[in-house]
Amino acid sequence: MNSVFQLDLHPDADSLNAFAEQALGVAEREQILAHMTRCSRCRQVIFLAHKAAEAEDLETQSALPSRGWRWGWRLGWVPTAAMAAALAAALTVVVTMHPRHTAPAPEMAKVVPQNAQTAPVPLREPPAGAALKPAPPVEANSAAGSLRFTASRRPPEELALEAAPSAALQATPGAGAYSPGENNAVRTPSTESVQMRTQQEFPSQFNPEPAVGGFQQRQRMTGALSANANATGASQESMKAAMGGAPVGQNAPAFTAVSRVSKQGAPTASFDNGAREAIARSAASLNANLPILPSGLTAISAAVTQQRTLAIDVAGALFLSEDEGKHWEPVTRQWTGRPVKVRVQAIGSGTVFQLTNTSGFSWTSADGKTWTVQ
Amino acid sequence: MQFFLAGRSKVALWAYLGGVRITSSQPVKDSAVAGIDEMPKVAQLPVQPNQLLNELWRESGAAAYGLEQESFSRILESVGKAQNYGLAAGATASQRQQTGFLRGLRLADLVLAQACAVGHEGAWEHFIEIYRQPLFRAAIAITGSETLGRELADHLYAELYGLKASEGVRRSPLDSYKGKGSLMGWLRTTLAQRHVDHHRRTRRELPLDNLVEGHEPPAADPKPGKLPAELLLLAKAVVDALEKIETVERFLLAAYYIDGRTLLEIAPVLHVHEATVSRKLHRLVNGIRKQIVKNLLEYGLNKQAVQEMLGTDPRDLDLNLKKILQVSLTDAFNEKAAL
Repeated sequence: MNSVFQLDLHPDADSLNAFAEQALGVAEREQILAHMTRCSRCRQVIFLAHKAAEAEDLETQSALPSRGWRWGWRLGWVPTAAMAAALAAALTVVVTMHPRHTAPAPEMAKVVPQNAQTAPVPLREPPAGAALKPAPPVEANSAAGSLRFTASRRPPEELALEAAPSAALQATPGAGAYSPGENNAVRTPSTESVQMRTQQEFPSQFNPEPAVGGFQQRQRMTGALSANANATGASQESMKAAMGGAPVGQNAPAFTAVSRVSKQGAPTASFDNGAREAIARSAASLNANLPILPSGLTAISAAVTQQRTLAIDVAGALFLSEDEGKHWEPVTRQWTGRPVKVRVQAIGSGTVFQLTNTSGFSWTSADGKTWTVQ
Repeated sequence: MQFFLAGRSKVALWAYLGGVRITSSQPVKDSAVAGIDEMPKVAQLPVQPNQLLNELWRESGAAAYGLEQESFSRILESVGKAQNYGLAAGATASQRQQTGFLRGLRLADLVLAQACAVGHEGAWEHFIEIYRQPLFRAAIAITGSETLGRELADHLYAELYGLKASEGVRRSPLDSYKGKGSLMGWLRTTLAQRHVDHHRRTRRELPLDNLVEGHEPPAADPKPGKLPAELLLLAKAVVDALEKIETVERFLLAAYYIDGRTLLEIAPVLHVHEATVSRKLHRLVNGIRKQIVKNLLEYGLNKQAVQEMLGTDPRDLDLNLKKILQVSLTDAFNEKAAL
């Protein structure tokens, strides 16, 4: 070690500077550090020198060509914007590939075409005569591509609840003819049979929607089917396949309306056989006379009693018909939000209409005109 | 140009300049200098002093100031011997250690400083061009005042130019620059030294106007009486605990508790992150406390007595932690050390 480390001497500026710049060996550095633990003067020198070095660094940085603080902000936002764009793209892909209201896996029903000739038919208008010549379920089955439900797992209690209306609907002409096959036992035949009948018998009774993109169609369809997809136990894939070659925009409301009818026939604890049969008949009646709403829009949900028929169009307007759908009149809005479902609810021996909006709030009405929040 | 070093044979210098070639622009790491003896010995390359000298001489830019290789070699020899090539006093540096030390020097800065010290006009022009403004800025940053900063920088300029004469010989502080760190860093440190020394010299000077007649200075504190035995034990335990801590920890305690430096100020000096300093400090304080408890238990106290003793008011202790942690040296040696 050099002479500056003699007793009672401070390290010279060169050694202190080398210490500050980490240019010393281990032994020399340790020696200077030991001195600085005792010497407040050298500590002060080191700290002041470092302060001056920092000031010089700042001066050097400020002397460099600066683009201003906005440029720094811009640079700072680049990775954030990139991450946000990637996230948005990923979300778009996810939403596109998986609609929001996909049924849970246990309730999914997979529809598998039996042969290659039953490939999905492109979306187009059905033949004009299709509505005039409703095909029997068996024919519809083959026309739709010989659909076969391959899987359907539902809770036993849910199946038990649907057993009664299923039996009633199967009694309708043609309903029982649509036999899903070996998995029929675990399927809800009531819903499926009504679905298929509706699609094949009344494909053109609904006004076709304006041409929309596939995503919008899926969104619309998803919104319409969201309340019923789980209840019917059919996935959207099965629904689309069940629609066969008919345009999605036309058949989705029909499917929905009927499926809601089938759900409104779901038994409750106080549901007697008479009311159940009445609702089943109403459902059959609705199937046979699905309305053309005055708004020109397709219905997304409908409910029928012996005297009245209620239907909601895709815009959320509610229409009432007291002559089995020959004439419709709009119902004054007495609810909040957008109604998406109307059903018949059995109360004792009678029935009331129940309207549900997108938020899940419900209103009831005995005559379909005056509604009370539930 | 004539340099101040006495003429010696450059063969003597280049006898130890050989071995492994190291890039001179990169400072040599600690292991390459101090711990190189512990490394396994490798076959020494044949000594080629002329080649190495020529290489270092060219890299330093000494030719720009008219410094020839012979003078350059003497400077290197002087610097190396003055610092024993970075080794502890008494150790003998091997060829590789000597070579590594020389290659680790800031040769360009060293040559410029030496040229300025002997009054080379071109070197001074270069020095002023490069360092004048940074020197002013550093002085202003150190003093916190532009006026004081410019005054401090001007004063140092005068010293650097060699206006001070000692025994008829013009001396420049640049002579003391040995090239271990950067020349700018050396200038900053020198400025800081001048400022601190000036402050320490003048802070005790009170103007005569402040001395009011009849206003006697406060009496000194009475000598404390004899402390109880348990307080003496506690003081001894504290002193013993502080004596066992390492050098870096002592520096940390002194800088933080005595100087009142912030973690942000201490961190760059120790070349660690601020959070690391915080963790070290926390561990250190806890460790000292545990050591005090351990010492007291070793002195024969039971745990309850130790806990009670830890609740003692520190003001009751006749203990000067500042004196324990540091020894304030006299300022009389400062100038001698700096020059």
